[in-house]
Amino acid sequence: MLAVIKKEMKSYFYSPVGYIFIGLFLIMFSIFFYIDVVQYTSLNFEYIFYSGSTILTFIVPILTMRAIAEERKTGTEQLLLTSPLSITKLVLGKFIAATLVVVITLLCTFLYFGILCFFGKPHITQALVTMFGFLLLAISYISFGILASSITENQIIAGVITIGCFILLWFLPQFSTVFTNFSLINMFSKFPTGQIDIADTVTFITFSVMCLLITIIFMQRRKSVR
Amino acid sequence: MIELKNVTKRYGKFVAVDNISFKIEEGEIIGLLGPNGAGKSTTMNMITGYIEQTEGEVIVNGYDMLKKPKKAKREIGYMPEGVPLYTDLTVKEFVTYMAEIKKVDKKVRKEKVKEILEKTGLQEVQKKLIKNLSRGYKQRVSLAGSLIGEPKILILDEPTVGLDPRQITEIRSLIKELGKTHTIILSSHILSEVSQICNKVIIINKGKIVAIDTPENLENKVNSDNNIYITVEDTENKTEEVAKRIEEIQKIELVKENQDGTKQYIIESKGNTDLRKTIFSEFAKENITIFEMKKADTTLEDAFMKLIEGGKN
Repeated sequence: MLAVIKKEMKSYFYSPVGYIFIGLFLIMFSIFFYIDVVQYTSLNFEYIFYSGSTILTFIVPILTMRAIAEERKTGTEQLLLTSPLSITKLVLGKFIAATLVVVITLLCTFLYFGILCFFGKPHITQALVTMFGFLLLAISYISFGILASSITENQIIAGVITIGCFILLWFLPQFSTVFTNFSLINMFSKFPTGQIDIADTVTFITFSVMCLLITIIFMQRRKSVR
Repeated sequence: MIELKNVTKRYGKFVAVDNISFKIEEGEIIGLLGPNGAGKSTTMNMITGYIEQTEGEVIVNGYDMLKKPKKAKREIGYMPEGVPLYTDLTVKEFVTYMAEIKKVDKKVRKEKVKEILEKTGLQEVQKKLIKNLSRGYKQRVSLAGSLIGEPKILILDEPTVGLDPRQITEIRSLIKELGKTHTIILSSHILSEVSQICNKVIIINKGKIVAIDTPENLENKVNSDNNIYITVEDTENKTEEVAKRIEEIQKIELVKENQDGTKQYIIESKGNTDLRKTIFSEFAKENITIFEMKKADTTLEDAFMKLIEGGKN
């Protein structure tokens, strides 16, 4: 599994993909930082993450769309699936690598926190809880992105499916209150208040596990229909 | 070493591989022949565990591919068709990655990678990105990837496709060299290649095995015809008439008329007799000058065509 993680990290950072993801996120984050902190003179680091979560919706597919689709298209999946490596380890490796890129991005945001600390006294715990929630949201998104990538060999289609479903989940509560608990972004929005909601945490984690499991089952089943 | 027992692969109603069974012993170099869509790649993919058979068993070195896939897969080095590679890695990184996922022990990994790179002649380009390599080198990288982890069996799906003649001979001699220490299955369209490298040929057509034999035996099977090509100068146009007088000749047919006025015929004899002597003396009596006379060579190509066409009737 470590081999897969290493190789995936290399692919992220040998190609522009990793830099585009981190760069896009930080550019948007900076704009929100400027608006919140400079224009509204607020010290609430957490609320920038609330805006940040909307960016995440659009940029996670950059990381995940090629994960499995590209292996299928170029045929390199033949190398992996005929090696002793198990499908579970392959999928987990890809998932962890994408998560690491998000972690790196989050570490970069500490820079902004540092700026706030220099001029005032922001709440460190509240910020950390928000980041934790943000990471949970990110892993849910990533696992869904990997699932989308495993059902097609076309990266673009995988990306469009991912963004389409995220937007659908985001706006579902607007149609009917029945769907309130279907929105991942809604669940995340409780974290910036500084409390870790157990129900939401469990939902995020089970959602990820479910997506990854479906991916693994799907790849295993494809063996007999390929 | 490898055993297929009544293996069938179906895609819906389409039968890609139909109830095939064969056994491959250690140290053999097997050529898998067949027209496009015959089921060569499907068969190879089932042996490597990339796809699952609908029915039957695939046993690799004693391990059932479905029940003990990890152990069975360790025994196999696979070079897939069209040489899929991670083009944004360097040669060395790629081979190292393959070593890692094939669970080569960490202590010896560096050494093994170096050894394989030397064996396949890749040391000079080991720091280059794979996407910048020529087709021939890419083929070698793919071969290196399949060699790592010391598999006992090598499965090569069309290893020489898309190479120039010099590269083809290089890869062929490399395969021959590897054949001394490995059991090899290779598929190919190029029949001369198979007869050069392999000591056993499996011919597949429409998902069924048409023949399993050595290349020589297959050639001999078709060779029994004793056909003779003959080029004559015959101004009076008597050749066919004379030929009909010779009893042993079953059929004579004009192949082509050359620009210098000579004609080439093909003569088919009855039974297994060599007619060259009789023809020579009879034609001389009638003043027909023989320019050239030769027994028609049968190649694996003829055997192949005959077997494939035999399957159709």
